[in-house]
Amino acid sequence: MPEARFPESNPFVEIATHLFLEDLAAKVGVHGLNNYLVSLAKNLAASMPLEEYGGWDEFLAALRDGLSILSTFEEVRPVTDRCMATPRSPFERGWREYAKRVGAFSPVHREAAVTYNLKVRPIAVTSLHIVLHTFREAAATRVRVGGKALRYTPIATVWVDGERQVAADKDLDELLRRSGISRTKLGMLLRAHADVWLLEPA
Amino acid sequence: MLDVALASLIEDMIEKAGADGVVEFWQRVGDKLAGRMGKEAYLGWTSFNVAVREGRTAFSIEGEVTPLTDMAITDVDGDVVGYLYAMRQCCYIPTILRTRYSVGQMSPADRAVAEEYNENVHNIAVCNFCVFHERFREEIAKNVTVSGNPLACYLLATRGWSGETKISAQNLAKININEEHVRALLRNYECVYALVMRGARLKGES
Repeated sequence: MPEARFPESNPFVEIATHLFLEDLAAKVGVHGLNNYLVSLAKNLAASMPLEEYGGWDEFLAALRDGLSILSTFEEVRPVTDRCMATPRSPFERGWREYAKRVGAFSPVHREAAVTYNLKVRPIAVTSLHIVLHTFREAAATRVRVGGKALRYTPIATVWVDGERQVAADKDLDELLRRSGISRTKLGMLLRAHADVWLLEPA
Repeated sequence: MLDVALASLIEDMIEKAGADGVVEFWQRVGDKLAGRMGKEAYLGWTSFNVAVREGRTAFSIEGEVTPLTDMAITDVDGDVVGYLYAMRQCCYIPTILRTRYSVGQMSPADRAVAEEYNENVHNIAVCNFCVFHERFREEIAKNVTVSGNPLACYLLATRGWSGETKISAQNLAKININEEHVRALLRNYECVYALVMRGARLKGES
């Protein structure tokens, strides 16, 4: 990531945003919060410019260098041509500061994830993953490689505390086949990464 | 990324609840966060200012705060009852920069919330985040005691991303600080506030 151009956020702003979401949940309920998070992630992606790349190699280089909208907020390491891994969650800093300054993470963040897992797909550990997965999915549709749009599919997510959520077992083998990695390789990646995901032409 | 996404959320909320609704929302969030920070007690101003410098107080959650110990606030008896405090960088500036380099430009929702606050609450906001953290500081000040006295916080001056400055005449009047002294501080700092012992009888008060 080009750190000089893209500074770290002040974690206080992230803490305030967490509290903002908690207050929102108190008003509109966990389902309402889930809808807000999906909507804000889609709006964020929609506000970012479209991208086009001549070929897959050019696109992977842009991902690696933090030049694509898909790698603006997180470092992305391509494991194979299609399988991407994120070493650190973009929410880790905010969460750690929250835990240090405010206390235990409000349960509403996990409750929102449970709702998302039931309604959309079983891949979120906390509310923040709703933002992350929805953003990546919406942002992928804004990127064209060789004239084709992209499709994003999450494979596994690990939260800062180590809790993980892996794609449903019935889908996993097929996702791993398309990603070009094995179950063992996935396990190796999850030990030291926050997310493993699949990007492929739509 | 949550900080950058926040602007999208605020845009959405303005559509549903109006800019005034977002102001109320931010203020309530300020109350709630302050409520979760817990109480603090200090023997005197020296120990409090050391704690601020070392980043140990609730105020330090915002980032690096400098106690301006050459700018004491005194009461009618000449006793020190408060100081000015300042932040070199507004907490929201990194988010504005991150938004600039990820989305391209800041959402107009940021300005809409700040203007709503300036017109109807307190003419001091240079971004939407000022709405939240003015209230947050006011509330945490009540939970901090110095020599047994709870504090009051007055936001005095702010400098925004574009260089725009705001100085609160109403809060300067409360602590008898000259506007030009505060204006000079804005050359080095982006946010200046006063912490004063609640109920202190300040010089010049009738």
